[in-house]
Amino acid sequence: MIRKTFEHEIQQVKDDVLLLGSMVEHAIIGSVEALKKRDIKASEKLIADDREVNKKRFEIENQLMILIATQQPMAHDLRLLASTMEIISELERMGDYAKGIANINIRMGEETLLKPLIDIPRMAQIGADMLHRALTAFVNEDVEAAKSIPVEDDEVDALYNQIYRELMLFVIQDPKTIERANWLLWVAHNLERVADRVTNICERTVFIATGEMVEIKNSDEEFWKGQKNS
Amino acid sequence: MNNHYPQNESFRAALKTRYRVANIWQGIFIFALLVSLISLTALIYNVMDGAFGYVAFEYKKDPATFTSTPVENLSKEELLVVLKSNLSAGAYKKLDNEQPMLNRSRADLYSLFLERLVQLDIKQIWSLTDSIFHSAEIKAEAAQKYPKAKLEFRSWLTPQFLSSPMSSKAGFAGVRTAILGSLWLVGIALLFALPIGAGAAIYLQEYAPKNWLTKIIQTNINNLAGVPSIVYGMLGLAIFVRALETFTSGVLFGVTDSNGRTILSAGLTMGVLTLPLIIINAQEAIKAVPDSLRQAAYGVGATKWQTIWHFVLPNSIAGILTGSILALSRALGETAPLIIVGASTFISVDPSSPFSKFTALPIQIYQWTTRAQPEFHAIAAGAILALLILLLTLNATAVLLRNRLQRKY
Amino acid sequence: MPNNQSEYAIETKNLFIFYGAYAAVSEVNIKIEKRKITAIIGPSGCGKSTLLRSFNRMNDFVPSSYVTGEILLHGRNLYDKNVDPVQVRRKIGMVFQKPNPFPKSIYENVSWGAKINGFKGNMDELVEQSLRGAALWDEVKDKLKKSAYELSGGQQQRLCIARTIAIQPDIILMDEPASALDPISTLRIEELMQELKKNYTIIIVTHNMQQAARVSDYTVMMMIDDKRSGGVIEFDDTKKIFTRPKDRRTEDYVTGRFG
Repeated sequence: MIRKTFEHEIQQVKDDVLLLGSMVEHAIIGSVEALKKRDIKASEKLIADDREVNKKRFEIENQLMILIATQQPMAHDLRLLASTMEIISELERMGDYAKGIANINIRMGEETLLKPLIDIPRMAQIGADMLHRALTAFVNEDVEAAKSIPVEDDEVDALYNQIYRELMLFVIQDPKTIERANWLLWVAHNLERVADRVTNICERTVFIATGEMVEIKNSDEEFWKGQKNS
Repeated sequence: MNNHYPQNESFRAALKTRYRVANIWQGIFIFALLVSLISLTALIYNVMDGAFGYVAFEYKKDPATFTSTPVENLSKEELLVVLKSNLSAGAYKKLDNEQPMLNRSRADLYSLFLERLVQLDIKQIWSLTDSIFHSAEIKAEAAQKYPKAKLEFRSWLTPQFLSSPMSSKAGFAGVRTAILGSLWLVGIALLFALPIGAGAAIYLQEYAPKNWLTKIIQTNINNLAGVPSIVYGMLGLAIFVRALETFTSGVLFGVTDSNGRTILSAGLTMGVLTLPLIIINAQEAIKAVPDSLRQAAYGVGATKWQTIWHFVLPNSIAGILTGSILALSRALGETAPLIIVGASTFISVDPSSPFSKFTALPIQIYQWTTRAQPEFHAIAAGAILALLILLLTLNATAVLLRNRLQRKY
Repeated sequence: MPNNQSEYAIETKNLFIFYGAYAAVSEVNIKIEKRKITAIIGPSGCGKSTLLRSFNRMNDFVPSSYVTGEILLHGRNLYDKNVDPVQVRRKIGMVFQKPNPFPKSIYENVSWGAKINGFKGNMDELVEQSLRGAALWDEVKDKLKKSAYELSGGQQQRLCIARTIAIQPDIILMDEPASALDPISTLRIEELMQELKKNYTIIIVTHNMQQAARVSDYTVMMMIDDKRSGGVIEFDDTKKIFTRPKDRRTEDYVTGRFG
């Protein structure tokens, strides 16, 4: 098969995307972990690490631009490179959510957590897991997997709704808890967005493999539907 | 991969051998070139050696007995008077019948004066080489053997030689009739062979379907170009001289005193002889017109003939003409077919119509070289020079035409 | 497949093109839309040029070539016994791979085709219009009497386009019109094609996939089969061919993994 150089460089890009993905995964898990332990130092380190994520993202973007300019990708190659551009931007946003959680931990200062964290680490775990499998599906261009992963978003949404109602209960009982409840609500919200962006990555993967631009699941719609029902 | 190539020392040794072989071949090529150069030089030397040199001649009668003024200063009219008063009436009438005396040039009359009245007599001639390297000995020898004779260094190719008709005396013989005959031949051959040859070439290149019949015809044309010229002579004799006699003799056009052995028959024979070459050359010229040009014409809706007329012909005409002229220069040197068709070996009347009797330069040369007298060999050398100059002129014309007409695409 | 109710510029029905016993192009059924640019792409030897040249019967000059099936122009088969190829070429002009202007002046290059086809109007006007149409007028208006060979390669090719539009054809066939030109001249020709498609149907054969992607509205993808005969494997909107082709072989070809 010809175009060995090009294929090799595409593989390189995919490897870099996996690397970026694992950096983001660690950031998500780590940020919730630090919050749970109220470890400000760890959060500060996470914020510093986010710069590495951004750097890696620009690196990949630059590589993609060079490939588009020099290799004139067509059809599948074009879909792959253009979608990868989109995916790394999603990853960077996910990194920002993790950074957001680390910031909340720092801004909470001496305040204690409103409640022990049980559902929030679960959300983080599920989100990171989904991300990991979504990127594996992306690298292998596995349409089946890419279509099944977004379904798990329902679980994340359910957890978020549960946390929401729980925190509302705290606030109703004692309005002074409103600020501390709000911190945690923000954390849960960030984690909910992570899962949404995984869905976007899966949609791109399907597009790369098939050329079909399908909306696998309108997460936002589902989410607001959940809110209304409560 | 294993390295099976020689390294360092052995490579250098092998390289040396390779260069040695290359040098040997180069030497062979230079040798071949030298051989051909030497042959050519020998040829030119041989011709030049005969065409120039000392000649010892004497007058049987002193020119002063015919005229008081030096002959060189006499005008045409005065020469005419001298000739008329000194020649016998019969001899004068005979000359007048050949060509009216009044219409002859001064040079003609002057040579008649020398030939008939003072009766110039060539005693001995020497070659160019001898003339240059042994001039003293020649002078001594001449003074001793021919005390009355004058010794003069002369060229046998002179304006006089070119403008004089044939004569039985070498000193007065010229090649005018032969040159005119050759030009007539070439002209008739060109008129006949060029349109037919070009037409055949156009048909073969542009129209003929690519099938076995075309292939056979093409092969035959190629082979005909190599047929010995004498065979064409036989063909000319059978067809133009005999079968088409009423046409070639001019009887059809009211000429009475002639048979088929005319310049027309010979010209047509030459035409047929050059036809295969002209066709092949014209085909090459037509092939050289790029196909993209034909496609361009067809692309805007031209018919085949419009394409040929507007593009193929204008862009190949230079090649066709050059090819034809080069083919004709081959015909110019042909002797054998002319002898068969019936060239006259002794004729002093210029050809005046296609139905004239004729001679040609190669015939003349052939005839003179067969004579025993050395002075005829000298004028043969002069005639060869004339023929070579004529050939060079024709070829130069071809080159000029090509440069002038050739288009670039 | 272009789905348009209007009449097509050219329609082929079960078209086969033979050289002797060998089918160079097999079973082509395509409908070329009017006033659009249709590109024919495919690897070398797949019969692109052969197909293109069958549209104005240029293949007639190849000995032993013949055609079965139909090529319909205005509902008439171009290969009917009573259709004169000269008439076909008058209606379907052609621009060739290498610029091949006539060895004549710039003016005559444009006027010659009109003249031999019996054009009766104002020749000066026609020449100017055609040269303007080929975006060449401003560059050559002061040297119309000069030889066409004094022009640059790109200008010569535009002159060939001017000469083609001077005979006012319905369709212009282009056989790799920019393959012998530098990138700037190539882009000028491509720009010109966009202007030309307002009035003419253009069919272009090109080896350059980026060019096909840039200029054409529809793309015909051809490929050689195991009998070494070329055929159309995909015919679609150019945007689709170059972003998400249906056929695996088209994909391989446009991504440079074949050919």
